[in-house]
Amino acid sequence: MNILESFKMAISSILSNKMRSFLTMLGIIIGISSVITIVSLGNGGKNYIADQFAKMGSNTVTLSVDSSKVEQTSDYFTLDDVKQIKNRVDTAKYISPNVSEKGTARTDTKTNTANITGVNADYSLISNVEIVYGRFLNDREVEEGKSVAVIDQTSAKALFGTDDVVGKSFKLGPTASSKSATVIGVSKASSMFGGGGGGRSRSGDSTPALVTVPVTFLQTLYPIDFNISTLSITSTSQANTIQTGDDALKIVQTKHDNKTLDLYKAANSASMLESINQVLGIFTTFLSAVAAISLLVGGIGVMNIMLVSVTERTKEIGIRKAIGATTNAILFQFLTESVILSLIGGLIGMAIGLISAQIIGSFASIVPSVSILVVLEVILFSSAVGIFFGIYPAKKAAKLNPIDALRYE
Amino acid sequence: MIEVKDIFKRYVTGDIDFTALKSVSLKVKKGEFTAIMGPSGSGKSTFMNILGCLDKMDGGTYFLNGKDVSNLYDNQLALIRNKEIGFVFQAFNLLPRISVLENVELPMLYAGISAKERRIRALSALDKVGLTDRVKHRPNEISGGQKQRVAIARAMVNNPAVIMADEPTGNLDTKSSIEIMKIFQKLNTEGSTILMVTHEDDIAKCAKRIVRFLDGDIVDDYPVKERTII
Repeated sequence: MNILESFKMAISSILSNKMRSFLTMLGIIIGISSVITIVSLGNGGKNYIADQFAKMGSNTVTLSVDSSKVEQTSDYFTLDDVKQIKNRVDTAKYISPNVSEKGTARTDTKTNTANITGVNADYSLISNVEIVYGRFLNDREVEEGKSVAVIDQTSAKALFGTDDVVGKSFKLGPTASSKSATVIGVSKASSMFGGGGGGRSRSGDSTPALVTVPVTFLQTLYPIDFNISTLSITSTSQANTIQTGDDALKIVQTKHDNKTLDLYKAANSASMLESINQVLGIFTTFLSAVAAISLLVGGIGVMNIMLVSVTERTKEIGIRKAIGATTNAILFQFLTESVILSLIGGLIGMAIGLISAQIIGSFASIVPSVSILVVLEVILFSSAVGIFFGIYPAKKAAKLNPIDALRYE
Repeated sequence: MIEVKDIFKRYVTGDIDFTALKSVSLKVKKGEFTAIMGPSGSGKSTFMNILGCLDKMDGGTYFLNGKDVSNLYDNQLALIRNKEIGFVFQAFNLLPRISVLENVELPMLYAGISAKERRIRALSALDKVGLTDRVKHRPNEISGGQKQRVAIARAMVNNPAVIMADEPTGNLDTKSSIEIMKIFQKLNTEGSTILMVTHEDDIAKCAKRIVRFLDGDIVDDYPVKERTII
C-alpha cells in the first residue's frame, strides 16, 4: 500500500467523523493560532520600535542626569556644557539640550495643556523634525531667548482650528504666568518622540499640545525649576557614536567635578534599541511558552482521541488484519490520520492566528510581521505533534491479535 | 494443500485452564469441499481460526500449500492471510464506512495491486457472486445474504489457495443460505478448495466431506453420501 492510498484512507476516515475530528483539532488550532498571533505581533512591535529609532538616527547619543543622585542644582547640565562639548568633541556634529516642562497653551478661543520642550537649532537635525509650514528655530532666536515656537500639526489644529498657523500668537507657559509666543513653524505630527501620532487620536482635545521653543525662552517661562537633564548629540558617523558619548561624558564629569558618582549617563540609540528588543524578546518568548503549553495540551487531545479511535475501531483493525493488513500498514494508517489531523489543525490555527494578529495589530497600530520561517516551524511542529502523540495509539492498534480484535465488541 | 498434525490449543484465563484442541491432525487436498461439524465448544471454530492464521496454536505443525506456517512472524502471517487464505465470517465483517466495491478491493490494496487492476478484479469477483448492481452501496444498505456474497467476493479476490468459512450461513435465512451454498459449490466446481464450519446438517450436505469435532478432537471423517447439489 502506498502513501497516496493511506492518505486517501485517512482523509475519508477523518471526514466520516467530522465532529470528532474537529474537536481533536481544536486544541492544535488554539495552540498554533496563539503562537502565531503572539510571535507576529511581537515581531511587528520590534519592527515598529526599530523604525522609530531609525527615524531618530542611529548615531544619536543621549546624555542624561540621574535625577535620583542629584545633590545640588549645579549638578544639572548647563548651556555652557553644550558649548563646551560642541567645541571640544570633534565628532559631535549636532548637540542640543532637551528640557521638557508641562504648562498650558492658550489662544483666544481654546486652552489646552502643553508639553513644552526647550531645545536649540540643532534639535531639528538630531530628531529629524519635519517642518510642514514655516521653519524651525534658528541660532539667533536661541541665543536671544526669543518668544517663538514650533508646534505640531495636530496641536495647531486643536488650538487654532487650522494647521497653517505661522505668524499667529498664543499664550504659553505655566498657567499662572504665561507669556505670548509667535508660531514660526509647524511640524509634522508623526514621530513617537515628537508627537506620538497613535496616542493622540484616542483622547482628542485633552491630549497636551506639543510645543518646541528655544531653551532660553523656556528658561524665562520657568525661572525656578528649570533644569537641563538631557543632552542630545549626533555624532559624525555611526562608528564613533559610543566614543562621542564617552568624550562628552568626560567633559561634563570634569566640569561638574563629579567623577565618582555615576551621575551622568550616555545612552546611544543602538544600545537603547537593543535593550528594548531584549525586553520585548523576553516578553514574546514568555508568551510563546504559555501558548506552547496549550499546544502541548492540544497534542494530548490528539492522543486521547486517537486512543478512543483505536478502541472504537478495534473491530475494523481486526477485519483489516484478517484480510492481510500487516502491522506496519495499520501503524501507518493511524499515524497518517493523526498527522493529517494535526497538520490541518496547524494550518487552520495559522490562518486564525494571522487574522487575529491583523485585528489586534490594527487596534494597537502595529503591523504584525510573520516570516516564512515561523510558518515552516508551525507546519513542522504540528506534524511533529501528530507523529509524537499518534505513535502510541497507532502501535497499540497495530499490535492487536487479529482474532482478539475481531471478537471485540 | 492443508496438512496439520497434532494441533494443540488451550486457553488460560485466571484459574481456568481450558484445552480447546487436544491433538488434531487433518489433511485436506486441493479441490476438496469440506464441512467441519460439531456442537458448540467442540473446538471447530478455534481450529478454523488457527487454519486461517487468525489465531496461534500452542503446539503442532501446520503446512499450507507446502509451506510451514507453524512459527511465522506477524507480518509473514499477514502475507499468508492476504495471499493464501480467503476468510468468510459468520458476522460478515465488512467495513461499514466504505462501499461494497471498496470492501472487495481492500485485500488487493494490502497486496499492493494497482488501482486500475483492483477495480477490474473486484468487479469481476462481484460479478461471480451476482452483485454487480450494488457496488456503490454501503454494507448497511444491503441485505444479509448480499453482505455475505460481498464477503465471499472479498475472500476470493486475491485467488487464495483455500477459502475458509466460519458458519457462513449462521446469520442468514434459508433462502440466503441456499444462495451462499450455491456460490460455494460453483467456486468448488471451478477448482477452489473450500473449508467450512457449520452446525447445520443441511448445509454440511452441500459439501463433499464432513469432519466431526467433539471436545477438541476429530471423532469422525467421512465423504458425504447423497450430496445436495444446488
